[in-house]
Amino acid sequence: MVDNANALLSAKNLYKSFGGIKAVDNASIEVPQGSITGLIGPNGAGKTTLFNLLSSFIRPDSGEVIFDGEPIQQLQPHQIAQQGMVRTFQVARVLSRLSVMENMLLATQHQSGENFWNVWLRPGQVIKEERSQREYASEILESVGLSHMAQEYAGALSGGQRKLLEIARALMVRPKLILLDEPAAGVNPTLINKICEHIVQWNREGLSFLVIEHNMDVIMSLCDRVWVLAEGRNLASGTPAEMQKNTQVLEAYLGQ
Amino acid sequence: MNRTVGDRLGNSEPAITAIAKLFPFHNLPFATCMEGYIVSLIIFTAIFALFGLGLNLQWGYTGLINFGHVAFMAVGGYVTVLLSDLDVPIPLLIWIPFCVLVGSLFAALLGLLIGLSTVRLREDYLAIVTIGVSEMVRLVALNEEWLTRGAFGVQGFPLPLQGFAPTLLTRIGMLAIFTGVIAIGYWQLWKWLRQRIKGVSRQSLINSSLAVAGYLGSLGLLLYGTVIIARQLKLAEDLSPWLLGLFLLGALVGIIALYTWLAQQTIPRLPDWFVGLSLVSCLLSLAVGLWIYQFAAHAIYTYSRTSIKTGLMFISVLVVAVIFWGLQKLVRSPWGRVLKAIREDEEVAKALGKNVFWYKLQALMLGGLVAGVAGALYAWQLTTVYPDNFQPLVTFNAWTIVVLGGAGNNVGTLLGAAIFWAYQTSTRFILADVVPLDDARLGAFRVMIIGLLLMVLMVWRPQGILGKKEELTLGR
Repeated sequence: MVDNANALLSAKNLYKSFGGIKAVDNASIEVPQGSITGLIGPNGAGKTTLFNLLSSFIRPDSGEVIFDGEPIQQLQPHQIAQQGMVRTFQVARVLSRLSVMENMLLATQHQSGENFWNVWLRPGQVIKEERSQREYASEILESVGLSHMAQEYAGALSGGQRKLLEIARALMVRPKLILLDEPAAGVNPTLINKICEHIVQWNREGLSFLVIEHNMDVIMSLCDRVWVLAEGRNLASGTPAEMQKNTQVLEAYLGQ
Repeated sequence: MNRTVGDRLGNSEPAITAIAKLFPFHNLPFATCMEGYIVSLIIFTAIFALFGLGLNLQWGYTGLINFGHVAFMAVGGYVTVLLSDLDVPIPLLIWIPFCVLVGSLFAALLGLLIGLSTVRLREDYLAIVTIGVSEMVRLVALNEEWLTRGAFGVQGFPLPLQGFAPTLLTRIGMLAIFTGVIAIGYWQLWKWLRQRIKGVSRQSLINSSLAVAGYLGSLGLLLYGTVIIARQLKLAEDLSPWLLGLFLLGALVGIIALYTWLAQQTIPRLPDWFVGLSLVSCLLSLAVGLWIYQFAAHAIYTYSRTSIKTGLMFISVLVVAVIFWGLQKLVRSPWGRVLKAIREDEEVAKALGKNVFWYKLQALMLGGLVAGVAGALYAWQLTTVYPDNFQPLVTFNAWTIVVLGGAGNNVGTLLGAAIFWAYQTSTRFILADVVPLDDARLGAFRVMIIGLLLMVLMVWRPQGILGKKEELTLGR
């Protein structure tokens, strides 16, 4: 099922149980380099748990995760982000009492100003980096239409704007892969289209995505390949069109 | 008046009478007393400002609930004085700063230990662990008599600038540095005020300032009048304490009700009342600051071999200025941004590649280090260190200071420390005169009033004096 040829991320036989419940039961998944891969399944199928396992927010009981040719299941969550894999959250989590711009700037990796000695001893370098990051952040905010909110508290954003900010913030990490947990949930159709356009655009620029989504239109329009999870196990995988015809998938998920 | 101030300051009275006999200036004893008192007040304010700054870094910026902050102060203080008491062939001018460095590093080490041991605990348990650690430190100091001399306390350790007799030129230099620090402070205040005033019309500014000044001025006069009457009533021996208490309570409730009503009437008609309030409070702080400054400046100018306190005041103010500046740089840097991100949502910080644990350790250690320096200054100010100096109450004084000024705001912490100590000293005089309680009860009564004021603050201005209101109304 999983072939490693040009996989950016591949997870094999991940297993995680909480007490008696097998949340993820020997699930595997693969995200090819440069793809937009979908992950679907009924509620409680273990999709978000799988995300947590991939990003090390939860440790798997067994199984392995390989990202960019290196095993990462032993790494800490922050190390995984530093390697170039960023996750977002199902309910958008913004840093309320920081400004939108600060939310963006925080996400930059390897800032010299994050070491307190540099703040005192090399203020010039810190300011210079900060300035160039600010420009980059402004560009991204401009493209997602949040630049007018840059100096506002992130906590003042609406639900949809928070989703946008979270994705924009993930871009600031300059990642290779972004894990999106329901980017379209609770977002109006116009904004969904806008988010999808951005995802396709960024994908053309070389960024890969793994997307959990219940909105099948989004999955159909975005994804090259879809993995279906049910009761913590792999049910099927293939192109979105194949999945729509797969009887097992229809039974478990699409409810025929 | 002269006599009463001298009386209340207690043990220095014979000396003051002696001086008063030498110099027939009527106001000299009062000025001398006041000068000593103000020098002491500045030192205490500086120490607790530092202490609060440490807590503000840990709690205000990083969100670590530290209920055992006094432990850092105890470790910093004890290590400094015990080390400096050793017999070493090094001049004290070098040895004492070295001891402070070691003391504060030990305090930072305590932060490291607390951080490492609580890594697997959930956030709120940190509060319990820290309060336990602070009591442990105090009890160790109480019982390990071979090291800390237990309840007898450590006395006679060397103090900084002991026997230092500066020449006129040195004194003028010290005065210049001291004045420079104060001037920079006021310059910053002016910049802040200018930002506020910008865009407000002159007429509106004058109107609102006058209204606020009238409001505050009349309130001050009314309170002063109440105090005068209460003092007279208390002097009338045959009046029952209950009646006096009733009078005080009635007057206070009346004044508060009247002024709340007045505020409700005036605020809607004065759109720029807050700018006016800012202007008036800046002018007020300038006036009070200059009044205090003249005593401090006089103390430095007439610096003599015997006035250890003046030197300590000079050191404390410099240390606070330097550490405040360093911390301000930090909290406005990307480093401070990571701390604030951890306070808001540590999962997000993790997801964005920040080593949350390491930053929490840094905040604990750096905050501990600052509190350790405060501990050394505290030990020098008290000149005797007992385990009882480090009761949990001291931690909560720091919390009061930080909450009062506004969490996550270092300027607020400085302001909180100043208000706290102004309260501590002024109530020692005023309440003793007007409240029908004996000394022991009065002490408890003062703490009760702090609690009451904090409650009022939490209802009316939960973000603290300098906190931002918007921050409280944001959704998660």
